[in-house]
Amino acid sequence: MLKCTFCGRRAAYNRRYAGVLLCDRCLIKSVEKRFRRAIAKYKLLLPGERIAVAVSGGKDSVVAMHLLVEHCKLKNCELVAITIDEGIKGYRDQSMAIVRENAKSLGIEHFVVSFKRIFGATLDQMARRARARKTELNPCTYCGVMRRSLLNQAARELEADKLVTAHNLDDEVQAIMLNYVRADFSRLHRLGPAYSPREGFVPRIKPLREIPEKEVALYALLRGLKVHLAVCPYVGGIHTEIRDFLNQLEANHPNSKFMILRMFDRLKPQLAGIVPEFEMRRCKSCGEPTSAIICKSCELLKGLGLRRLRKTLNSPKSR
Amino acid sequence: MTYIKVTVKQVGNKHKREFRLGPHATIADLLKELGHNRETIVVRCNGKIVVEEERLADGDLIEILPIVTGG
Repeated sequence: MLKCTFCGRRAAYNRRYAGVLLCDRCLIKSVEKRFRRAIAKYKLLLPGERIAVAVSGGKDSVVAMHLLVEHCKLKNCELVAITIDEGIKGYRDQSMAIVRENAKSLGIEHFVVSFKRIFGATLDQMARRARARKTELNPCTYCGVMRRSLLNQAARELEADKLVTAHNLDDEVQAIMLNYVRADFSRLHRLGPAYSPREGFVPRIKPLREIPEKEVALYALLRGLKVHLAVCPYVGGIHTEIRDFLNQLEANHPNSKFMILRMFDRLKPQLAGIVPEFEMRRCKSCGEPTSAIICKSCELLKGLGLRRLRKTLNSPKSR
Repeated sequence: MTYIKVTVKQVGNKHKREFRLGPHATIADLLKELGHNRETIVVRCNGKIVVEEERLADGDLIEILPIVTGG
């Protein structure tokens, strides 16, 4: 039996990048400490703030919600949960039940915003339209753009000071690599533990950014949290290739993911000089903030022969 | 004994498979044989979450839980 480096109990995790073995209790303590450390180091949350957390029901967002509850009690913050229901049959309906259960057990107000209600079509319907119209865009493009836009709008309408997303170390490193591959300076420059505040946007923060995906999963399993572990049916493409490449790299060379993150964090201030500043305007069609004449969501909807049905969300509370 | 026999179950899949391995085999050896990357799964041995360097014993039930769900 292999033992925990710190307390001698049976080890549950080999943190190879640090050269230590951790038991269930020490891993749970370590994840909680890293979460608190990220908040303190980057000043992500301030006492008394109203915080919205984006929760899909997956392990990352459920863990974020549970960690935030503890933090909010200590710092006198108010917490609300937002779920975007994209309308993915057999996937989102299952995870939605898990979010409701978690929010109820934690006593958090939970708001749901659905693609169908706002855009008049579910993601499944958009995917079918995209195929029929040969737009050559995959469902993740529609989902990513529209989900981000609705999350921001919901957080703003709920008067949140911050919007927490549950991106973990793996998500962040994958985004860094994807933007390198696409030479997308603008998106690369926006990555980091917190997005700088801009008019119309609720500042987005990522307190799980320095916790590897496997440690987040272990935290959820070891604490017995109810999480949705199914794979989205639309997952694929370059994102998956980059994820698999990084996981192979980490398996062969532990600490690679942290090194990529540290390197990016050191380079980021230098990017400011080469990324053009853009003026924020209001989308002519829906009024949401954008750098163009119409926002990306409205542009994508137009390409599918759809249009936004509602300007305000008036997100219904989950029951 | 020249080999050990373990049962492997992938969470979400009803089927169990039996594997014969050398007497000093570890979970990491089994994962390699199955083509799993340790970064993407959690392993339970007889119901307990364990590290991949643990040595297997005859009759162990190994459960493999995929944890990577995003794109």
